[in-house]
Amino acid sequence: MLPLPSSLTVDTTNRRLGAGLPAGALAGLRILDLCDQKGALAGKLLAGLGADVVLVEPPGGGSMRSLPPFWQGAPPADRSIFFWFYGSGKRGITLDLARPEGAELLHRLAAQADVVIESESPGRLAALGCGAAALRERNPRLVVASITPFGQRGPYRDWRTSDTVAQALGGMLYVNGHRDGPPLRSLGLQAYHQAGIFAAIGVMSALLARETTGRGQEIDVSLQAATAAALEHVPGFWHQAGLIGVRQGTLHWTRYFRVGRCRDGYVMHCTVGDWTALIEWMKADGMGADVDDPSLEDLKIRQAEADRVFAALDAWAERYTVAELVEGAQLRRIPYAAVRPPEALLDDPHLVERGFFVPIEHPGLGRSIPLPGAPFRLNDTPWRVARPPGVGEHNHEVYGELLGMSPPAGLT
Amino acid sequence: MRPLDGVRVLDFTWVVAGPVTTRILADLGAEVIKVERRGTLDFGDRRGGLSGTLMRGKRSVMFDLADPRGLDLARRLAAASDVVIDNFSARVMTNFGLDYESLVPLRPDIICVRMTGFGLTGPDRDHVSYGPTLQALTGYTLLMAEPDGPPAGFGYSYSDLAGGNLGALAVLAALWHRRRTGRGQLVDLAQLEGVASLLGPVLLARAIDGGVSTPTGNASQEAPGAPHGVYPCAGNDRWIAITIFTDSDWSRFVAAIGRPAWTCEERFATAAGRLHHAGELDQLVSAWTRGQAAEEAMATLQGAGVAAGLVANAEDLCARDPQLAARAHFVDVATPEGRTVRIDGPPFLLSETPARVSGPGPLLGEHTHEVLSGILGCSGEEIRALREAGVVA
Repeated sequence: MLPLPSSLTVDTTNRRLGAGLPAGALAGLRILDLCDQKGALAGKLLAGLGADVVLVEPPGGGSMRSLPPFWQGAPPADRSIFFWFYGSGKRGITLDLARPEGAELLHRLAAQADVVIESESPGRLAALGCGAAALRERNPRLVVASITPFGQRGPYRDWRTSDTVAQALGGMLYVNGHRDGPPLRSLGLQAYHQAGIFAAIGVMSALLARETTGRGQEIDVSLQAATAAALEHVPGFWHQAGLIGVRQGTLHWTRYFRVGRCRDGYVMHCTVGDWTALIEWMKADGMGADVDDPSLEDLKIRQAEADRVFAALDAWAERYTVAELVEGAQLRRIPYAAVRPPEALLDDPHLVERGFFVPIEHPGLGRSIPLPGAPFRLNDTPWRVARPPGVGEHNHEVYGELLGMSPPAGLT
Repeated sequence: MRPLDGVRVLDFTWVVAGPVTTRILADLGAEVIKVERRGTLDFGDRRGGLSGTLMRGKRSVMFDLADPRGLDLARRLAAASDVVIDNFSARVMTNFGLDYESLVPLRPDIICVRMTGFGLTGPDRDHVSYGPTLQALTGYTLLMAEPDGPPAGFGYSYSDLAGGNLGALAVLAALWHRRRTGRGQLVDLAQLEGVASLLGPVLLARAIDGGVSTPTGNASQEAPGAPHGVYPCAGNDRWIAITIFTDSDWSRFVAAIGRPAWTCEERFATAAGRLHHAGELDQLVSAWTRGQAAEEAMATLQGAGVAAGLVANAEDLCARDPQLAARAHFVDVATPEGRTVRIDGPPFLLSETPARVSGPGPLLGEHTHEVLSGILGCSGEEIRALREAGVVA
């Protein structure tokens, strides 16, 4: 195992923060996380930043624990890699919110917390007696973030969703795919992820505002709107020109990027690097006569002539392996890249040297699991990586610390 | 009030990823000053639309950083700022003397955010990248495809939005830490790692169990379910996404589409059966959706409690969606020229101190005078001399 960079800490005990580890940026914040997969990334990000995030699951464990993929393909208890990803870094308690005594206990836990994050359907927690307004009445400093399909208000408030449906109505799907094929959803649950990121942004904004106002507030995150806020050209070109972006395979909407083929695989072409260097390189190979045209030095003409430009690049790229072409391009400051599967990241020397994957001991497996690490690094307040909790693993610890009681019988 | 009232951000970012970070900070009330160069890349109208949505609520100054006087102005502004952010390749800010180590003596609690492609360390730190190349490196391009189909990937730079939105979270966390401790810090945001961190369980599964990732088209990546995917509707390039996970989802779906005979077939009676026969089921569902307008199919299915949504194109999203309209997601903003431009707003609603679009995008150098005079205390004469020398514009 390589030494870890100073910007990451590993908390192998997955216990309370502070036990000799450098403090994260959010050390001292306590967050109750009631989310399923729709909002789970928010708590994971805030836990990585050093907050004490307590995942509150129903007795027996939450639904994420039964989602694939499973370790070694089999779904026995606690083998969900899906849960390991979203649960990592959190402590775990169980509590039956459907019982009035359970809802009352949530009030008492929330009275000791800074933040509650939840992803129930609009109105469900309120119906149980522990909605945002009620929780804030008991603890006016509390920040409550709600992640729902379409938001807390509006005509689609009670409509249902999945990650795919949110991507569809959020405008992410329509522009991905081939011209003559169906729209394609993303790799990874990107509607949920964007909602998680924006919920975390909302939480930090509300906490910063609390420094001035002394009061918490509610945050309403819509999966659909969060997805729409992770688009690039689609809304803007409609607003300014009434243009509708379309699917065009791997050709980027700017027409400066497109996948091509080398001898041994796919490469991402790029025509906004050092164009002169690219042409000189092709000419040195006895290629590129079609595009050795001074008018193409103009970016706008290169964009308009993208078909011709990429055809010439394709003919030339066939001479090379992907590795040769990418290395030659990067030496010339042309942003080429290999088109690779995600598993190529595992032994990418760059990520290995940066320690992006952090091995974490996982009890019961007899081995460590390499968790993908920080999305960014705050150099003085390390990202915290810790394993996911077992069902109710921290019941004694959390009920003891927060409420001075044993885990409540019949509710956990 | 807004959460970042009183926070000043000096913004050297360009293209997309960096401006996405700073537009969120501007929505939250920060004073964001874009330091721009002549001939900077933009996407048409800077007030509204795509460029205006990226630059909304920011101020713009134009300095010639190749001139020592321009660089001195930038350094003085940095010393008067809480956050300095760029998305150049790793060495650019170091060469300007605008990196964290150079700025700390001027402003000990400065927060510097470096949004590079590959990060400030590691063998590839000087590699050049754009969103599409980072998506290629991390698997999105190859695996967003139909089963056994050629790569398709995102039609846009999702990586820039992912990195940009994550960047705003990084700034807020660093500001929180500074309020508690008085200490600033350096933030190393490698956009490669940002977008890789969002692959989710698929990457962890490969890390744990090995194996080879293959494209799964529009199959569910959360609970297994069928029918699940995108189905063609009546009209040109109209589609609907439908998700069925559970038996009760299926019963509601069957009732909503009027219980055609095939829905009663034994092989579709259980979730396992539906998954096993997902391909045939997709054909049968498509036969139903093809006769429906996407809007009507969506209303029918959602009315019955089935997760379904039309595949929104730009017009559906911006001009026809009643839910985004009810949230006032797109806002009309007045420009100083008396025009009205449309801009995307923040997607999270704070009940007490809401984020909001502070104004349209700035023209290049629109605020050079007021920033030089208001923040650096330059006299009108000094500014005139700097303009005549081409140092500012």
